[in-house]
Amino acid sequence: MSTRLMGRPAAPGAAVAPAFVVIPQIPLEDDLPKERTGTAEEETVRLRQALDVAEGQLRELSRTVEVTAGEEEAEIFEAHAEFAADPELARLAGEAIAEGASAERAVVEAFGTFRELLVASESEYLSARAADLDDVRDRVVNILLGRSATGEAPSVRSVIVAHELTPSQTASIPPDVIAAIVTETGSPTSHAAILARALGIPAVVSCAGLLDALGERRELVAVDGRTGEVVVGPAEAERDATARRAQEEETRREELAALRDKPGRTADGHRVELAANIAAIQHIPAAVEAGGEGSGLVRTEFLFLGRRTAPTVEEQVGFYAEVLRAFPRQRVVFRTLDVGADKPLPFVEREPEENPALGLRGIRLSLERPELFRDQLRALLRTRAAVAAEDAGRLAIMFPLVSKVDELVRARQVLRAVAEEERADLAGVEVGVMIEVPSAALGAGRLAAHADFLSIGTNDLLQYLFAADRLVGAVADLADVLEPDVLGLIRHVIEAGHAGGAWVGVCGEAAGDPTVAAALVGLGMDELSMTRVAIPEVKDALRRLTLEACREAVLAAIEEATDAVEARTILEDRLGTGLDSRPG
Amino acid sequence: MALRNPTGLHARPAKVFARAAAACPADVVVGKDGREVNGKSVLSVLTLDCHQGDEITIRTSGEGAEDALAALVRLVDSGLGEEGQG
Repeated sequence: MSTRLMGRPAAPGAAVAPAFVVIPQIPLEDDLPKERTGTAEEETVRLRQALDVAEGQLRELSRTVEVTAGEEEAEIFEAHAEFAADPELARLAGEAIAEGASAERAVVEAFGTFRELLVASESEYLSARAADLDDVRDRVVNILLGRSATGEAPSVRSVIVAHELTPSQTASIPPDVIAAIVTETGSPTSHAAILARALGIPAVVSCAGLLDALGERRELVAVDGRTGEVVVGPAEAERDATARRAQEEETRREELAALRDKPGRTADGHRVELAANIAAIQHIPAAVEAGGEGSGLVRTEFLFLGRRTAPTVEEQVGFYAEVLRAFPRQRVVFRTLDVGADKPLPFVEREPEENPALGLRGIRLSLERPELFRDQLRALLRTRAAVAAEDAGRLAIMFPLVSKVDELVRARQVLRAVAEEERADLAGVEVGVMIEVPSAALGAGRLAAHADFLSIGTNDLLQYLFAADRLVGAVADLADVLEPDVLGLIRHVIEAGHAGGAWVGVCGEAAGDPTVAAALVGLGMDELSMTRVAIPEVKDALRRLTLEACREAVLAAIEEATDAVEARTILEDRLGTGLDSRPG
Repeated sequence: MALRNPTGLHARPAKVFARAAAACPADVVVGKDGREVNGKSVLSVLTLDCHQGDEITIRTSGEGAEDALAALVRLVDSGLGEEGQG
């Protein structure tokens, strides 16, 4: 008899395999030796060693995860390693040992002290760290008890089933034996879910009643990570259905991979460039691998931040050349330095500001203190000359935080002056502005008369439009690119840009959402630059839709929706771009 | 001094601060609203729950105290290694 359960979809994919139940590792406190048997010194040495071992394991795990899943996922374990190495934690545990506690008990108490402080903080972020603390605590206690710190791994491909799965547990099971992951708790944003997605493993979370349904049996479990459906002890028909879904998912992965070298376009052949945002030199190989058609936003800040002196022109050339070489014949848009009082540079003296987001930043700072700006433009032009004979990318230059035409005109004057000094020909170098200030969006027509392109920076534009800092959780939800009037404003920017002879792109997180991407294409967007991981899905979604379908859907959203939620529903109903309705 | 970076003393910036403090021979104490903790301990720093715009105090003592203070103030001023978003 099969049992059908419903959880929350957390990572796409489908699988049927025997269940492997991960037993909760939280050691019952009663099990632990309460008092130490040896001397305080001996027990302290045990404690030190266990903390060292835990730290070493976590750093190793971080390196492994960095290779298998990625840098951001690896950060989780780096942070855990820091917890294991924390001097105050060791001091608190040492005190407990001095008072007679066993090392195990001392560790539990010391972690408990910090846990209480974090949970008491009322900060959602800190409360969520309590789970991380528990994970590290269990690891240390298991080391002290001589148990395997990570639990057992299945010997055959299995569906990993647990009430709760810690990041450590997830990462310590070899990915090739994990057919799927199902947990009774957790959210799609939990670390375990993020890891599953990064590893391409189907996952369902918040699947209540799972362990009860499974009982003591090592039954087959069928999992669909797109719908959230989990079947314990599936009948033959159900097994076959899931196996078919798994096959479809596999086909889909192959389809997406096969799109790598295909250009971005709609089903009816309307061309849309799908580029990658680049914020660090390490991002480049993954951006190329994902099929990025050049870059619509190279953030150059990281070359400048965190150093005492400005990078030399030669240093900059070395970096810029690497980016251009990675994208043969494709356009690469370098955004000039965008720093403000919130990111002060030691080599640029300036007054602190009460409100850096509205202060002397971006192009304003570049025009006020032109030395760095001139050096950067010089470096970009020299890079172009250096790679001219090669099959490299095409240089484009974009100015950030332009709010008025005058700034663009002056910035272009500086560029021309530098080009003359360098005896560089500016023909073929596209120059554009980032549209991220409301006045620039409203004045897109005037800007387009002086620009080769306009690129909408949705992150900052939304922040300024809604007066809502997206890093402030309580107001972050106010700003949504799908608000009908925001779509209307974007339509204005595109129409005004095209009327002025400029192409129009978007270079914010919004472009990586297939629904939003289709809406923007429907409004006439020429280029979408997004986080590298989003490119295959967006490329696939657009290649299934006609330009006309996108246009009709977005116009309906603008006219009929009263807010972003309704707009999304209208778009997804008409375009079939929602997460659950995606093909495959 | 006021914290300027967006995340305050959380996540990565907390780690960056504690690591820099741990590298100093001097003792480092960080405080907010009268509560003071060991600046070399990332867990302790986290419990202060410092956000962007919060005023924090940094005290150093012992060997190389002045250098440590100057270095840490500079680090906090420079945004604790946080990259901005576009």
